[in-house]
Amino acid sequence: MALPLSSPAPCFAPSPSPPKTPPRNSFLITIPTPHRRRRCRHGAVRAAVAVDSPSAEGGGLRAETPNVFLEVKDLRAVIKDSDKEILKGVNLTINEGEIHTIMGRNGSGKSTFAKVLVGHPDYEVTKGSVVFKGENLLDMDPEERSHAGLFMSFQSPVEIPGVSNMDFLRMAYSAKKKTEISPIEFFHYLLPKLEAVKMDTRFLDRNVNEGFSGGEKKRNEILQLAVLEADLAILDEIDSGLDVDALQDVAKALVGLMTPKNSILMITHYPNLLDLISKRCFVHIMEDGLIVSYYQELHIKNCCRNLRSSFPVLKYELQSPTLEHFRQGSS
Amino acid sequence: MAISCFSSSLLPPLRFRSPNPNPNPKPKTLAPIRASFSDPFVLSIAEKLEDSLPSSSHPSLQTLRSLSSQSLLSKPWPSRKDEPFRFTDTSFLKAAQIVPVSSSNPSANHTFDSPSSNLLVVVDGHPVPSLSRLSSIPSGAFVGPLSTLPPGPALDRVLAVASSEFPDGDLFWDLNGLGTPDVVVVYVPERARIVDEPLHLVVCSAEGEDVGSGRLPVSNPRVLVVVEKGAELTILEEHLGIGECEGRCYWANSAMEILIGEGGKVKHSYVQRQSSNAAHIKWTFARQEAASTYEIVEVSIGGRLSRHNIHIQQLGPDTVTEMSAFHISQSNQIQDLHSKLVLDYPRGYSRQLHKCIVSDSSGHAVFDGNIKVNRYAQQTDAGQLTRTLLLAPRATANLKPNLQIIADDVKCSHGAAISDLEEDQLFYFQTRGIDLQTAREALVFAFGKDVITRIHYAPLRETLNSRFKELLAAK
Ligand SMILES: Nc1ncnc2c1ncn2[C@@H]1O[C@H](COP(=O)(O)OP(=O)(O)OP(=O)(O)O)[C@@H](O)[C@H]1O
Ligand SMILES: [Mg+2]
Repeated sequence: MALPLSSPAPCFAPSPSPPKTPPRNSFLITIPTPHRRRRCRHGAVRAAVAVDSPSAEGGGLRAETPNVFLEVKDLRAVIKDSDKEILKGVNLTINEGEIHTIMGRNGSGKSTFAKVLVGHPDYEVTKGSVVFKGENLLDMDPEERSHAGLFMSFQSPVEIPGVSNMDFLRMAYSAKKKTEISPIEFFHYLLPKLEAVKMDTRFLDRNVNEGFSGGEKKRNEILQLAVLEADLAILDEIDSGLDVDALQDVAKALVGLMTPKNSILMITHYPNLLDLISKRCFVHIMEDGLIVSYYQELHIKNCCRNLRSSFPVLKYELQSPTLEHFRQGSS
Repeated sequence: MAISCFSSSLLPPLRFRSPNPNPNPKPKTLAPIRASFSDPFVLSIAEKLEDSLPSSSHPSLQTLRSLSSQSLLSKPWPSRKDEPFRFTDTSFLKAAQIVPVSSSNPSANHTFDSPSSNLLVVVDGHPVPSLSRLSSIPSGAFVGPLSTLPPGPALDRVLAVASSEFPDGDLFWDLNGLGTPDVVVVYVPERARIVDEPLHLVVCSAEGEDVGSGRLPVSNPRVLVVVEKGAELTILEEHLGIGECEGRCYWANSAMEILIGEGGKVKHSYVQRQSSNAAHIKWTFARQEAASTYEIVEVSIGGRLSRHNIHIQQLGPDTVTEMSAFHISQSNQIQDLHSKLVLDYPRGYSRQLHKCIVSDSSGHAVFDGNIKVNRYAQQTDAGQLTRTLLLAPRATANLKPNLQIIADDVKCSHGAAISDLEEDQLFYFQTRGIDLQTAREALVFAFGKDVITRIHYAPLRETLNSRFKELLAAK
């Protein structure tokens, strides 16, 4: 451990003033969002925040220059039909092995951000850049983004009548492998994945998401993630609509999927799942199409406490009974 | 009473060529009607059909011919001004020189196979026992030409059913009755079952003409199905062109009449994969007694002009009727389904699903689905849905789903949708790494498979799925 930051003090990253040299095995985070300083008016302001690598358990020590996965700069996007701007200059950097989360009130643009990243045709990027693993993501078709290692689980996954889950997964995997994978070969590949997400094989014969319960749909998204083994998984409210057991299952499955090499960007209203997955992560707050603040903590509990004081908006969410339930359950 | 109609003495066969063509004294009005309405084009077809048939037919067939010929006298060739043919252009038939298929013995040098042990082959309208194999028909049941049904209660019953009137029958129904060389009879006695080994009926055309020859051989296959009280039948009806007929011009003018007794069950799979230059006009007329079930699943992918008329009539309460259809219209193809379901008794249940893909600018789909819930049909539960995928610019679909409800205590729903593929679904595929082309194919395939999977026999289902895949790939 490099720098224990167990203090409950808020530790929003400060202005981009030149940072001190961080200790070994740590790195710096600076956020260029202009709103940030205003939001950080209380609490200790340090020149720089240096912390442990926030990679998941087993992440170990990391090199001094982190491997940048995703770099979003000043991203602006409008709805194609109406030209209404939803994303108003989003900045975000995610490095290899990191877990990030975006919180924020309904309609603030979280899902839109996720969908823009995977190339949804409803939106048009008007400004800014998105670089994923060194390549310009905005130049790629949605399927190329998937092949590059990007995955998004939908907040409300669409139903596809007439296409069996098995066929769909095999098509996806064959597309990734750039060769037709035989049903038998694929089944062998798939079985352990099914076990990992605790899904019954009978879900394979059913049509994609058709008639699935909310929780089953979410599990199915995780199954797709497991099959595609994406490098960066954007999970849009993967935890909403899940019961206690399902949340545990999804958390376990995610932990199982995590390697020091892949990253997660989680959109959520509740930190429960984060708490189950990892004690360390980066928390971003989105408001009206902007990431207005940014927070990094070793312990999500502390993080939440700080967020509560800084963002009354989140008060309800962070104090929800389920949260307490999980706190007790996981401590 | 009805049976007596079939004694040939009562109704002598009507000869169109005779100077006095109407020796039947009963309907006095017939002569003037004929004078004012008879369509010379229709008459000429009728004459040719009559000439092509052997004069020494079975008495029961003579009766059918007489009834049909009288009825068609008042029916002109349909035009676009007639509501049932408003969107369906039959002028290419009218422009052709229609000739009856030669009555010579249909070629036996074809072989047919079926995964079912019950296969009956009909070639150019003639049931061909030598090509058929009926190895697991229960005792008391009969499957074969009407002319070989021995006298007895089964024959009496079949004749009674055949002689009942069908006022909604159109010109093509009558032409079929006049021109059929023999009727295929399927008789399933009380409580008997033909289910596990379904009856596979292959109705094919072997005589065709080259495109551009101007000649159009017409055949008139006719099937009569009687399923008695508590009996069950699964029937697979397949229409196609064989041998040199593939790709050639011909006209198959088919009809099937079905009577389902109380508590009886009929599962009917109907597949039309005629030559892409053929005309296919088909009638399915079903009557259901109380508490019976009738399920028809249609897959029509062939033909240049394909018209299916379904008429289903309830004869008692608590009946269940399910209709599903899937059509593909490719270049220069018209697929037309006109269906009518009449609910007259309490607690009927009905579902109709019509799905259609028009994949070419010159393709055309027509659907007119009428469901009539009459006054006494209380507590009826009727649903109707039609969905069309237009996959090419200027592709055409004319859809007219309609529920006419007179009863007040009913549950009815209907809907129609014409669309391209769903953007959200395509995007979902893409985000999982599947390219747009593959995604489109998968969704189009799924659209049709939805109906194909309802086909009542797995081997036929699989054949159809792969045929459908080939069609999509060939595009
Ligand atoms: N395709 C679209 N058409 C019209 N409006 C849209 C579209 N996509 C997003 N919006 C609008 O943009 C805003 C942001 O929506 P978004 O779904 O990104 O919010 P969110 O932060 O994910 O909210 P929630 O927490 O409720 O999921 C909302 O006001 C939404 O109505
Ligand atoms: Mg959202």
